[in-house]
Amino acid sequence: MLGCAVAVMLLTATAGGEPVKIGVYGPYTGGSAGMGVSMRNGVRLAADEINASGGVLGRKVELVERDDEAKNEKGGQIMQELLEKERVVAVLGPINTGVADAALRYPNEKKVPELINVSAGAKVNELFDVYGKDNYVFRIAAGDLIQSEMIVSEAVEKRKLKKPALLCDDTNYGQNGRAKMEKALEKHGVKPVYVGKFKIKDTDMTAQLQEARSAGADVLLVYGIGPELAAVANSMERIGWRVPMIGSWTLSMAAFINNAGANGSGAAMPQTFIESGASTPKQLAFLDAYYKKFNEKPIAVAVAAAQGYDSLYLIKMAIEQAGSTEGPKIKAALEDLAKTYEGVTGTYTKPFSPSDHEAVKAGNVMMGVVKGGVVTPPQK
Amino acid sequence: MQTLQLLWAGIAQGMIYALVAFGYNITFSTSKILNFSLGNVLMLGGVTGFVLYMTRGVPFAGALAGVIAVGAVGGVLVQKLAVEPSLRKKSQHAWILATLAVGIVLRNGAEVFWSTDDFKMRSPLGDAPLRVGGAGGIGIYPQEILIILVSLAIVMTVEMLKSRTLLGKAVMAVSEDKETASLMGIDQKRVILFSFSLSAAIAAVGGLLVAPITLVSATMGTVLGVKAYSASIIGGLESGYGTIAGGLIIGLSESLTARFVSTGYKDVPGFLFLIVLLLVKPSGLFGKRTIRKV
Repeated sequence: MLGCAVAVMLLTATAGGEPVKIGVYGPYTGGSAGMGVSMRNGVRLAADEINASGGVLGRKVELVERDDEAKNEKGGQIMQELLEKERVVAVLGPINTGVADAALRYPNEKKVPELINVSAGAKVNELFDVYGKDNYVFRIAAGDLIQSEMIVSEAVEKRKLKKPALLCDDTNYGQNGRAKMEKALEKHGVKPVYVGKFKIKDTDMTAQLQEARSAGADVLLVYGIGPELAAVANSMERIGWRVPMIGSWTLSMAAFINNAGANGSGAAMPQTFIESGASTPKQLAFLDAYYKKFNEKPIAVAVAAAQGYDSLYLIKMAIEQAGSTEGPKIKAALEDLAKTYEGVTGTYTKPFSPSDHEAVKAGNVMMGVVKGGVVTPPQK
Repeated sequence: MQTLQLLWAGIAQGMIYALVAFGYNITFSTSKILNFSLGNVLMLGGVTGFVLYMTRGVPFAGALAGVIAVGAVGGVLVQKLAVEPSLRKKSQHAWILATLAVGIVLRNGAEVFWSTDDFKMRSPLGDAPLRVGGAGGIGIYPQEILIILVSLAIVMTVEMLKSRTLLGKAVMAVSEDKETASLMGIDQKRVILFSFSLSAAIAAVGGLLVAPITLVSATMGTVLGVKAYSASIIGGLESGYGTIAGGLIIGLSESLTARFVSTGYKDVPGFLFLIVLLLVKPSGLFGKRTIRKV
């Protein structure tokens, strides 16, 4: 009892100390903003909760937020600013693969952990080949490898559709996804009948879809972001063609669901969190708090919000376990988290190890399906 | 049938380029100045239309009136706040940066005060494509028919007014020779102001027209503005009807290249054509050669 009181006194005594700065960057304006803002909201919610319950190591968490506008060159600039000028102890974000990849050197050089919470395509475990044991980049999001294999097996194994057409955007993200889907298809001994691409802001996909149709495709495997994926669905309706659409997690974005309307119904995508299927007390509490704080229901990009929320809690746990805000110590703690974290996107027991920096494994991911304007969990 | 579908898509897209290109044409013909914020004025029109029609539930005609008003006032502001001051500075091309800057301010303003997301705007004519030529036939959005008709109507009306009305003749006179026009009692400043207002109103209507096809967002005008600029150069900056040809050339080359060459190269033929044209006939397909006195 006395120990408790002393601890509380210590806490309050140091709570006024220097805040723990965490960098949060992503696209808060521009075409990817839906994902960026949802992610930031998730992180903010977690920060508020953490600060309301005493902070971390008795210090307040302070978020240093930067907008990368989904521009690759901004990634490096922001990361340098966060590390050199703001001296953050950890970095969360970003959304876009190109942006993330452009900035990955800096956390490794400065030995400050980065926990990628949305970008599925950014290099994470690949960096062990470059930096060896000194890899400071972690991820809590379903990587492209997991996603592309799920997408392919959903089409080829579960639905027995063996004539896939691939349609991906021409960004780093879309083309990474295309390469990984092609590799996954190869494993199943299937060759795509058509491989096409489109640009960000394209609204008419008639040409690509006509080619896919002439090639005899029976399923469309897509990799891109919400607005253009909606254009794909709408253009299918326009040319009067209907085949199943399976693709990247971004098919769950409001920008896809709202803009494709009825044309997007039935689209399937890998998800770490499905708003309409929330069942655990943790998930329900998260949604309740999110709706209240941001007055937004449904969440624009629920997956990004949930992963953003969980990412800050994982960093908090690591800092507490390390008892320090030094980069190498946080990294070591992340790689050997003693406590289990019950998060919104899943329960994480030892999510990372010194040789695996991917928190999300195939088992954490489920196939969501768009139905009646919301993403619904898979039918059991 | 497939090719017909592509041709249709190309024409509809091309007419949108043509409409914005016509906006460039109007200010250029009176003041030799291009309003590079037109792409974002188009966005402003789309966003205003979306807010009025979808968010506030104003009837379409009311939304249209609102959009025209926002465009017309916007054009006046661009001229008064960006173009006039930069001309007064006597620097040769400050107006280029000034109008570009206005465009950026408009876009960022929309992102801050409205939204960074993309939204679907319902077409007043319905969103389901009309199927022409049976089950395997081509899909035509009613909105596309509207785009083509309204664009043609706007270009033809303005061109006709130019040659038939007093104001039109004043515009023509200013575009021929500012000083002489002034001497003849034409208030060239007001004519130029009017041309900015008119062109911006047309671009804003363009935004309302394309919104149901392209989605409404703060970034919807950026690419459109650039492509429309190429269309106006191809058609000839001095020629009103030329902008239609320019728009159609770019729109059609895009959709046909995407299908028969590669989707990755769809922008290439249009821009190649632009470069070749600039080398061979810099005044554009329908531009008149002018003799410049130095």
